Amino acid sequence: MRERSSSEPLRRPRCARIRGRAGAVSGSDASSASGEPAQVLVRVGGLAKSFGATQALRDCSFELRAGEVHALVGENGSGKSTLVKILSGVHAPDAGSVELAGEPVRLRNPHAAQDAGIVTVFQEVLVAEARSVLANVWLGADGLLRSQLSAREKRARAGAVLEELLADPLDLNCPVEELSLRDRQACGIARALLREPRILILDEATSALDVDTRDRLFAIVGRLSRQGTGVIFITHRMDEIGEIGDRITVMRSGRSVAVLESGGWTPRELVRLMTGSEVLEELAREEAASFANRRGEPVLSVRGLTLREGRRPIDVEVRAGELVGIAGLEGQGQTEFLEAIWGERTVPGEVVRHKQGRDVVVRSPAQAAANDIAYVPRERRVDSLFGWMSIRENFGMPTLQKDTRFGILRPASTRRRLQEYVDRLGIVLGDAEDSIATLSGGNQQKVVVARWLAAGPKVLLLNDPTRGVDVNAKRDLYALLTSLASEGLAVVMISTEVDEHLELMDRVLVFREHELFRELERSSLSREALVAAFFGAGEEDEDATGALAEI
Amino acid sequence: MPPALSPRSRSGVVPTVRRLLRTYSFGFALLVSLALLIANLLTESGGFGWTQQMADFAPLGLAAIASTPAIISGGFDFTISPLIFLTNAVFVIWLLPHGLGGAISVPIVLALGAAVGALQAVLIIVLRIPSVVVTLGLYFILIGVDYKIAPNAVSISSSWLTHLSGSVGPIPGALFTLGAPFVIWFALRFIPYRGVMFAVGSNEATAYSTGVNVGLVRICAYALGGLFAGIGGLALTGLVLSTNSSLSGTYTLIAIAGVGLGGTSLWGGRGGLLGSMLGAVVIYLLGSLLSALQVDPNWLQVMYGGMLLVAVVVGGKLALPAKQAA
Repeated sequence: MRERSSSEPLRRPRCARIRGRAGAVSGSDASSASGEPAQVLVRVGGLAKSFGATQALRDCSFELRAGEVHALVGENGSGKSTLVKILSGVHAPDAGSVELAGEPVRLRNPHAAQDAGIVTVFQEVLVAEARSVLANVWLGADGLLRSQLSAREKRARAGAVLEELLADPLDLNCPVEELSLRDRQACGIARALLREPRILILDEATSALDVDTRDRLFAIVGRLSRQGTGVIFITHRMDEIGEIGDRITVMRSGRSVAVLESGGWTPRELVRLMTGSEVLEELAREEAASFANRRGEPVLSVRGLTLREGRRPIDVEVRAGELVGIAGLEGQGQTEFLEAIWGERTVPGEVVRHKQGRDVVVRSPAQAAANDIAYVPRERRVDSLFGWMSIRENFGMPTLQKDTRFGILRPASTRRRLQEYVDRLGIVLGDAEDSIATLSGGNQQKVVVARWLAAGPKVLLLNDPTRGVDVNAKRDLYALLTSLASEGLAVVMISTEVDEHLELMDRVLVFREHELFRELERSSLSREALVAAFFGAGEEDEDATGALAEI
Repeated sequence: MPPALSPRSRSGVVPTVRRLLRTYSFGFALLVSLALLIANLLTESGGFGWTQQMADFAPLGLAAIASTPAIISGGFDFTISPLIFLTNAVFVIWLLPHGLGGAISVPIVLALGAAVGALQAVLIIVLRIPSVVVTLGLYFILIGVDYKIAPNAVSISSSWLTHLSGSVGPIPGALFTLGAPFVIWFALRFIPYRGVMFAVGSNEATAYSTGVNVGLVRICAYALGGLFAGIGGLALTGLVLSTNSSLSGTYTLIAIAGVGLGGTSLWGGRGGLLGSMLGAVVIYLLGSLLSALQVDPNWLQVMYGGMLLVAVVVGGKLALPAKQAA
């Protein structure tokens, strides 16, 4: 409850910024106001780091002041994460200097970084699955021999932080593996907050959060920065940068290319700086007319699917050449719906695949795959990648059949097939035989998508494929999906980003409380309509609409 | 009003069973060992002989217990069995003839066990190769060392250690050897180390990123296992009053099977000593039951394997949330 008062001032300026971006930072940010120069917490210069042949950082300069929220933006592979990992003690730089409060330091490991007051929430949701929420949020805070705090105080503080973040309390004894992705990420964030950092780094820390939790996190971040904490913030959501960033450092190809003051930029300009191109390429989207042409025969029917006991059964028909978006707030049954189609989740109802006059009921992933359905799951690292195998092997795994002659595997054939998609998707890679781990997140995702496209599916299911993927990679994916749809592929795709639905989809299914709440055709698709549906018709939540309208 | 985003109700029979199995991961081993105990008591003619049975069981039980910390921390330790025989040989061949066979032998033997365990972890960390490879290498090395120290079986006439296989007053001596690890394990509850060890086993990357000294945690876990193996060496010496290097590998896999039977995850991060001991009890009692029933001893191995599979299925499939079990 303490933060109630502090969260208000943070929400107001956001609305102010929607109107005119020239507006100054809200007056409550005392430290960044002119007059007194704020203390510099971190200064790095000339930082370089390479991994094998990949030069992740070339020449990076960066400065963080006390009391500011400093957004770090750039495409995937631009070096943001590498910079963060150097500041967190995970990687040692090849060249360049890191100064904390004017003192040169060498951060040998995460422990040293945390001793120096730098605490990071990494892009990956890092939790010890078998341990309780309480053990997770305090992990690493103690030495091995002695606890800094009494067990009771730990419970109290952990409970308070989690409640502040999630709005309702979390069972502290519950093993983390039983939690939703959102709550796991909240645990990781709570862990960082409990360390009372001087420098807090949030690297894509909001990717699994719903809008409300994100707002609450931003309120906390605002309060911390007013208390003098320096916050480094990485996100791919433009609205978030405008919402809480005081300054922005833009990175491109391992270099820091610009530092922008709050209010002194436009999204267009930011994209230009990130991509380095003068012209922002608007995605050429075929309009309703051409879409009507490509909408073909029904390829898939979902009949009476009940995602949860007592929920309304779902009936949906998907046609060839259609791009169907699945939208909604976090955890409203979107993933369950997709997994049910894929046959991975057994729920009442049936999924029927229509194949040229023949109907097949899909009951398992194997059947789904056999009937030209492909599924790209959400957790790329866990569910999709063979982490220690090469790009070629990661790509070719399910379709090796095509590369055999007389039963003998020919890697060259896989490479040839891969090359097709490398060109088409704009996958940036060194060599096809390199480990998949050498690629950036966006390129890994492209490889995963390519893998399933190679199977020649008629129905492609995608679970939030652009999560943690940079703008350009997203555009490559959009262009690919649109062109595949015009070739007759049916795409069913979960996305957490409203813009993605607006830009890409022919039809959007909005999920709410494990029911199909509303179906929006292209003609009636608008930001307002979508967000209104997220929150249930009629009772339109002003604040949430505002938050999303800002993008 | 925004809707409740994630319902947290966790009621129902299956989740309850899951939670019970997770909290009491040794449940399966406990039930089976109780059943086997009753069966043993019914078939045993001429009395069960608790003190002797416990003494016979102690080395196996301690081998399973000693294998546990390394597994919980996310590794494997195959050296426990040769290490038990190493400490046994050192006592018989070196300590006793040099007049160090008294109480002073206890800290020496325990320190030796802990040192070998710690050395193993240091190798794993320094060489950065999978713990299974390092421990397999050390397994053979230790067996070689055992032979070097005691090329032939050597017997001793008497030692105070016989109390450990007999009784101390009215108390079975094996209670001391089997009980010691539990006392240490319980005491570790009161420092953060034990929880951190589980966290490292559950997710090493997470632990590392939060500033945990993963290497040190591993070293301590292996050293703890080595320490328990030292206690096993004392129990073994008291029981057999001899050393026989050709038996060095006896407990290796059976101890790991005990750990798995006892509900400790072989992938690390969950479980405990009690389960491992109960798992060993199952193995031990199954052996004595089948021999009492005069079943062909060849079937014994089949039974062990079958039990292990059942236990891992019960522990792994039922105890974990549906998503993980897939």
